[in-house]
Order: sequence, then structure tokens, then C-alpha cells
Amino acid sequence: MSLLGAFARLGLQRSGGFTGVAVARCFQTTSVLCAEPLKKKKKLDPQIVKQREDRKKKKIEKQIRRLEKNARQLKPVEELEVPLELIDEKDKRQRKLTPLGSAELEERALLKKQWAHYKHEERVADFQIIDRLVQAQNKALAELRRESEELYQAAIEIDPQLLPVAVKGPVATPPIKNYVSPDGDYLHQSMKWEVK
Amino acid sequence: MLRRLVQVGARELSRSQSSAAAAEKWDLYAGVLVERLPVVSKSLNPLEKQFQDMLWRVEYENSLKSDHELKHEREIVQAELIKKGKMQVDMEDSGSKQTAQDRKDAYIEELKKFQLGARTTPDDQAKKTSSTDRCLEDTLYLLVQQKLGQQEHLVLPQGKREEGESMRQTAERVLRERCGQELQVLFYGNAPVGFHKYKYPSNQRTESVGAKVFFYRASLRSGQVAEKVAKFEWLPKEELNGKLKNAAYAESVNKFLL
Repeated sequence: MSLLGAFARLGLQRSGGFTGVAVARCFQTTSVLCAEPLKKKKKLDPQIVKQREDRKKKKIEKQIRRLEKNARQLKPVEELEVPLELIDEKDKRQRKLTPLGSAELEERALLKKQWAHYKHEERVADFQIIDRLVQAQNKALAELRRESEELYQAAIEIDPQLLPVAVKGPVATPPIKNYVSPDGDYLHQSMKWEVK
Repeated sequence: MLRRLVQVGARELSRSQSSAAAAEKWDLYAGVLVERLPVVSKSLNPLEKQFQDMLWRVEYENSLKSDHELKHEREIVQAELIKKGKMQVDMEDSGSKQTAQDRKDAYIEELKKFQLGARTTPDDQAKKTSSTDRCLEDTLYLLVQQKLGQQEHLVLPQGKREEGESMRQTAERVLRERCGQELQVLFYGNAPVGFHKYKYPSNQRTESVGAKVFFYRASLRSGQVAEKVAKFEWLPKEELNGKLKNAAYAESVNKFLL
């Protein structure tokens, strides 16, 4: 069919004018409507259909069972596993230090207690600061509301531009100005998996 | 629907309130607290230092020896054996081999060569208060010389609200006007963090009695105050309190400083 169409077009291109039209008439350019009548649908035995469905169901159930069986087995994470050599050479690698004296232990225990007190006070002070800030803000908002309800409503609106916010935390030493970091060695460490 | 009713109710309530207080009219001002956040972490106090040392010791005690340490120990034993003459010196090997000690010396040397950034800057020594590159451990706050009434005062940048602006917009505009375009800051939300009010001197009261200042908090992103616009200073909290002359103002400001 497409071949015919192509020929028709070819003819048209080759011979322009009246002759071209005459040639084109001899060719069929539309699709031929002489298809085979549709096949009669086979009626399946309802029992066979049922069997097939059952088989499908069983297959899925089996898969589910297999998955459930392995559900508790987690994939190993390489980075989290203790290297074997450490386990093997543990005796060799343990430090042989003289055990701590009671004075040292006592000192450490005292220091820990002191530390706990210190952190507690720090935390309490933090809460007090937060309280103070919240109070100051509430007072400001209340005053604003007394002046004008519209301004207050504008003030309590959420600021969508604030998120996401990027903050660089304090560091141990400040960044060196105009510092160009040297290129390190490149080690390709990712594992290669081969299909057997 | 319900929310709308509540809003309308609240609006009417506020209208009735404002009509009651119509006798006293206050000017609304927005102030901006611009802070330069700390760049480096706080130095440890004696207790913190002591505790950190202890944690490091515990860490060392619980740790296992590394490959490097094992190699070093092995080499010491070998060296002693050679000294006693119990083992032959491998002439081919010893020349090219790098011992653990050699490596250690090499990397200590390399570390020594590297200059860490200093925690104090030249501006610290010069006490250059207009610089943001000082007092890296502390938060710095911006004070600007501003004319209030007849006199010049060192205050947080502030300015009067214009009709049709929200307080946040006022704060942003005021900061641009007082400090120039180059100062890039991040405002923390639409709500004010602090409040201060003061009355004008009685001979200057025309239509309003005084000013109500609503402070907004913002953190410095980049840039610096334009020098031509006004005199300004970046100060940590203690120095800030020394500079604020008005006690009531200092108290209001201190309420929302960290």
C-alpha cells in the first residue's frame, strides 16, 4: 500500500501539469478497505479461567512469603561493619596501660559531676534567655496591635522567604582569605559488581 | 467564615480601643538590630578545657592500636635485634624503606608548614570598631549615629513609618536609607522582636506625644555600611551597653539581645 502511495507521489513529481493528474488517477492513493472479517472470540472454559487466576494468586502469595521470610535480614552496610582484621588482631591491638588508680578515678568522677552542674546551669541560662526573648517579642506584638490591627496582622504573617535558610556555623579557625586548596590524590573506592 | 467574623470583630474592637486612645497619638518607628554572627567558636573556659582533656584521655585508653603504631613497634623490635647482632641487616631493603618514624616526622613537618587562620585579626589590635572583621568569637551589633530631635545619638538604625507600609517594609527601607545599598542582611521574619517608646520633649510635641519603636532582628550576610551615609560602629554586647547613653533605651534593647 505504502509502496503504491510512494509511486503515486513519484509520478506526480516527475510529470507536472495535466499529464501528471492523468497518471495519478490510475493509482490508488487511499487505503484499501478489504480486510478480513474479525475472528470470532473463543469462549474459554470458566474452569480454566479460574485455574489460571488461582495460579497467579499462588505465585504472588509465594513471592510475599519469600519476602516476609527475608524481611528481618538487613542488607549489610559496609561502612558499619567492624573490619575483620580488627576482630582477629584484637589482643594484639589492645593498649597495655597501667590500670587507673583510685585517686584518678575519683578525680574523673568529680570532674563529671562538676561538668553536669555546669551544663545544667548553662541550660537554665539558655531557657531564661529564650523566655526573655519571647516576652520581648510578645510585648512588641501587643503594642503593635494596640496601635493598629492591620499592622499586627501583617507582622504575624509567615515569611515564606525565610526558608530554606543557610547558616554557616562558627568554626575553630576563620577561613584563610584567598586560599586555594591543593588537589589531593584521587582514589576510586566504589566497588565493581560483575554479573556472573 | 468563622475566622472572618472573628477578624471583623477584632478589627472593630481595635477601632473602639483606638478611638478611646485618640487623645494620645504616637509616631510609629521601625528599628533594626543588625548582628554579625560569630565566625569562630568560643574559646574554652578552664572547666571545659579540663573536661575535654579527660574525654581525649578516655578516648585514647579505649582505642585500639592503628596499623601505623603496630608497624612502629615492629620496627623498634627489629632495630634492637639488629643492634644485638641477632639479625642480618637487609641492605637492599633498608635503603628504600620508609619507617613509621620517618613518615611521622614527615607529616609533622607538613603540618608545621600550614598556617591556620588567626582567631584574632589586625582590626582587633587596632580596635577598629567600624570593621566587622574583629571579635570573631562574639556577636557584633550595629550602632549608627543618628539625629533624634536636636542631638546626635548612637542608636540602632531607626526611622519613621510611612503611610501604607507594614512595619517590616519600614524596617527594610530604614536600613537601606541609613546604611546604604551594599549592606546585605537577612531579616528574621515579619514580627518585631523588641519594643521601646519614648516621649518627645514637651516643647516639641506638635501632634504626637512620642515615638514607639518596633525593633526587627536581622543578620549580616555581606557588605558593609556605606561610610558616607553615617558614622557607625560594630560592637559586642558589653561595649554596646557602654555606648548607649539613655538608660531606658539600653534596657529596652537589652531585653532582646542574646
